[in-house]
Amino acid sequence: MRFFEYYAPKTLDEAIQLLVRHGEGAYPLAGGTDLVTKARYGHLRPRVIVNLKRIPGLNDIAPEEDGGLRLGALVTLAEIARSLLMGERYPLLAQTARKMGSVLIRNLATVGGNLCNAAPSADMAPPLIALGAEAVIVGPRGERRVRLEKFFHGPGQTELRHGELLTAIRLPPPRPRTRGVYLKHIYRQAMDIAIVGVAVLLQFDEQEAIAEDARIVLGAVAPTPLRVPEAESVLIGAPLTEDRRLEAARRAARAARPIDDTYSSAWYRREMVGVLTRRALEHLVSHSPER
Amino acid sequence: MSTFSIIGKRIPKPDAIPKATGQIIYGHDVKVPRMLYGKILRSPLPHARILHIDTSRAERLSGVKAVITAKDLPPRRFGYGRDRTPLKGDKVRRCGDEVAAVAAIDEDIAEEALELIRVEYDPLPAVFDPQAALRPDAPLIHEDRESNLFRHQEYVHGEPDRALEEADVVVEDEFDLGYVQPAPLETSFCLAAFDASGKLTVWSTTQIPFLLQKDLSEALGIPGRDIRVIQTAIGGSFGRGLDMYSFEPICVWLARKAGRPVRLAFTRQEEFAVSEARQSMRIWARAGAMRDGRLWVREAKVLLDNGAYVSWGTVTTLVLMETIGSLYRVPHARVVYDSVYTNNPITGAVRGFGNPQGTFVVEVQMDRLAEAIGMDPLEFRLRNANRPFEETPQGIKITTCGLTECLEEAARRIGWSEKRAAPSRRGAIARGVGIAATMNVGGGARIYRSDGCGCIVKVDDFGRVTVLTGATEIGQGSDVVVVQIVAEELGIRPEEITIVNDDTAVTPWDVGVHASRTTFIAGNAALRAARQVKAQILETAEELLGASAAELELRDGYVRIREAPEQRIPFDKVVRARHFRQGGQVIIGHGWYDPHNEMLGPDGKGNISATYGFGAQAVEVEVDVETGKVRPLRVVSAHDVGRAINPMYVEGQIEGGTVMGLGYALSEHLQVHEGRVLNLTPFDYRMPTIMDAPPIETVIIETDDPEGPFGAKGVGEMGTNPTAAAVANAIYNAIGVRINSLPITPEKVLRALKERGS
Repeated sequence: MRFFEYYAPKTLDEAIQLLVRHGEGAYPLAGGTDLVTKARYGHLRPRVIVNLKRIPGLNDIAPEEDGGLRLGALVTLAEIARSLLMGERYPLLAQTARKMGSVLIRNLATVGGNLCNAAPSADMAPPLIALGAEAVIVGPRGERRVRLEKFFHGPGQTELRHGELLTAIRLPPPRPRTRGVYLKHIYRQAMDIAIVGVAVLLQFDEQEAIAEDARIVLGAVAPTPLRVPEAESVLIGAPLTEDRRLEAARRAARAARPIDDTYSSAWYRREMVGVLTRRALEHLVSHSPER
Repeated sequence: MSTFSIIGKRIPKPDAIPKATGQIIYGHDVKVPRMLYGKILRSPLPHARILHIDTSRAERLSGVKAVITAKDLPPRRFGYGRDRTPLKGDKVRRCGDEVAAVAAIDEDIAEEALELIRVEYDPLPAVFDPQAALRPDAPLIHEDRESNLFRHQEYVHGEPDRALEEADVVVEDEFDLGYVQPAPLETSFCLAAFDASGKLTVWSTTQIPFLLQKDLSEALGIPGRDIRVIQTAIGGSFGRGLDMYSFEPICVWLARKAGRPVRLAFTRQEEFAVSEARQSMRIWARAGAMRDGRLWVREAKVLLDNGAYVSWGTVTTLVLMETIGSLYRVPHARVVYDSVYTNNPITGAVRGFGNPQGTFVVEVQMDRLAEAIGMDPLEFRLRNANRPFEETPQGIKITTCGLTECLEEAARRIGWSEKRAAPSRRGAIARGVGIAATMNVGGGARIYRSDGCGCIVKVDDFGRVTVLTGATEIGQGSDVVVVQIVAEELGIRPEEITIVNDDTAVTPWDVGVHASRTTFIAGNAALRAARQVKAQILETAEELLGASAAELELRDGYVRIREAPEQRIPFDKVVRARHFRQGGQVIIGHGWYDPHNEMLGPDGKGNISATYGFGAQAVEVEVDVETGKVRPLRVVSAHDVGRAINPMYVEGQIEGGTVMGLGYALSEHLQVHEGRVLNLTPFDYRMPTIMDAPPIETVIIETDDPEGPFGAKGVGEMGTNPTAAAVANAIYNAIGVRINSLPITPEKVLRALKERGS
């Protein structure tokens, strides 16, 4: 790793000023599990590193008045995995965090880092999008909010302009009778990045027979996380029969735009979108064990 | 045998606590005053002529102390094939070939200097397919050779052609076995320093300290006697250290040119990109059997891709030949192989050394033959298992052999008969069991002029024993094994022994750690040295106790009369009595052991090892038929190790070997495209993590080898050999699909299932 300047500002303003002042080549540091690795492997050459971890308020999990939650960008995956509040209100996120990296990585890696790194395979993105999360962005011109669905522009590219930071994720209040699951297909039992990730969220009616709302979001099969409304629509307002579940899975597989790379072929990825979507729905409808 | 006091005990390695507490000094930790950092500029092209190298800007960079190219080095070649110079002057033959090197006051400056070196290349047509490399019009990789064929060899016993006609059933398969990396945690490392008199010290993670002296001497023209190799604690090796690489002479030459010590350590990416991989092999094989269950014939044609240069790894074909020719009794066999140059990454020694490939072929086809004659695959194996004290047609003189016991135990413990008969299927999840055996050299392997190891045992006047052994410790436990052997012989506690095994200026010669040879060879050398010490102790004790040596024994730190154990003298007191008197002597014993094994003849026959280890692995797997994902649920690994000097480390070797075998079977694959390695990080390479390691039950079978130290044979590589075959057989049992290419990825399984139309 080459020489770089290092700053550890204590306020958000200071951090933003540093990033603006140093322009391209200045990188914010959160958990470092992506940034340090990329720098070490020579994929990135940071001239300036701005450590955000001394800034208070970026690593809180805070309930909001509307019943939602504000998830600080620097909250680690380990904290999400073990937070009682998360487990109670958004078990889908706690469950997703546990499927990422390894214990050591989860202790360092942050939710904000996972999103800002904007890998197509980022595990946190599909479930957060399914939950209707919003990105809170602070920059030289103040704060703005963007639906997380619109946050990703391409691999490694986000809504953030230089000098802007993702400071938090806002989650709307959990909806009643809602169940979600994130299925991640990997070869090993840990450490691998997703070959395919599928988040499914269903809101059931009072009788738990019909879905009033459905969200299906795919990871690792397009340049950005991919929501599949055409698969969601099959599931809403009618009994969740096996036929409908299969049709939703087929539509999800069709919607995927995967590529061939060293991890997997596009063919296999598309196959797995179908299998995982179907399994996620089976799991949510029949409480069958997660696979 | 309960008469042992130290042999068979689970004693921790001498370096266990320093390793666990982080106090051990690995190569990467070593710093010496005035040390510089070396870096190598590598070719981005797989095959190209070098037109011009301009290093002037790098030389002018502040902090750079030396820049070298091929012109600076003596024009000497090195390596098993004598086919390379440390730095390449005329042309490059692979991506990553060494073109220039720099030494600077820190790594950043060294890296920056590399960027300032301009190299002009003229790209040449390259060849990446070993079959294509054999065509007459293929680009010639080494101009001084007539073709890209490095070696062609044929091995025959019996009459394979006739036998293939006679056989009641014949199976035929093509196997495609990919590259894997040994991928030790510690990347390759070298530190070189010249003293004022011009003598060279090299700190190294080599497995062959004494051959490294010789290799460096040949590559650089420095007399071998002026080279001292010190081995740092080695953070894994698995065969990587069996050859000298270009970076080692480069590091030495940088130190010479800079007049300062130079350290050169690979980045993780370099480790994946340019350190030696396991040979990828394409194997076409046939095997035949009789309906009554007799294995009748085997035939294999092997295409081995050496890559751009040939290393000791090319000898893997001998091991493969031995597996195909002698694992199970097979009256007729033929192996034909071509080992070929390509512009692919270089390949070398990796644990198992050709045996995982050979065993995969043999054991997949054993299953196929059993099926073809309608016999249980275990039964078929047992009928044809090698027997003790039997010479194979290949000239392999088997002595102790517990193969039958290994097969029976592995099968029994996995629940063979119940599970095999009814592979289960629940929803998308199918389960199955598979078995595979292995034979591995267990008493050295003569591939060099000497297969020996030396040992010196000295005792100070406080009774502390120091063992100087040539045996290299790469984490396998040779240190504790040697200590236990000496402790047993001298009747003292292992804590009273210091082992020195890391310095060619101090320790006696050894050929290196390979071929699972160290327990057997270094153990025998240590035993011989200890016996000399014992004789000296007994000679003095005879006088002190007034009894003949035959009546005395060394036990629990005393010399005592066997029949009257209360008459005893402390060990250290005897030592002093011998030393501190007129005409006294210090106690020193030395041992040299070179086994009575043979180099294989040109016909591929001969008794290459003084004894052979055997083992069998049974694996239960779960296959998800919708995703193709295979999960090993349990492994039983039973091994005839002669005697377990330290069962804890025998288990450690087998467990580690098995996990390495599981990686080979299911997930590890060095992906190479047009000579370039694509997956350069542990993350992308998919070595099994601890989460992927299933419970492994190890069964130790003791056969008390007559030639082994206290009956022991080698075990280091055996765990890796049969795993991929056992997994493939278990997958077949579960879902009826055969995958003959490694690794067996979920995608391959799913494709195969779809093609079959399940």
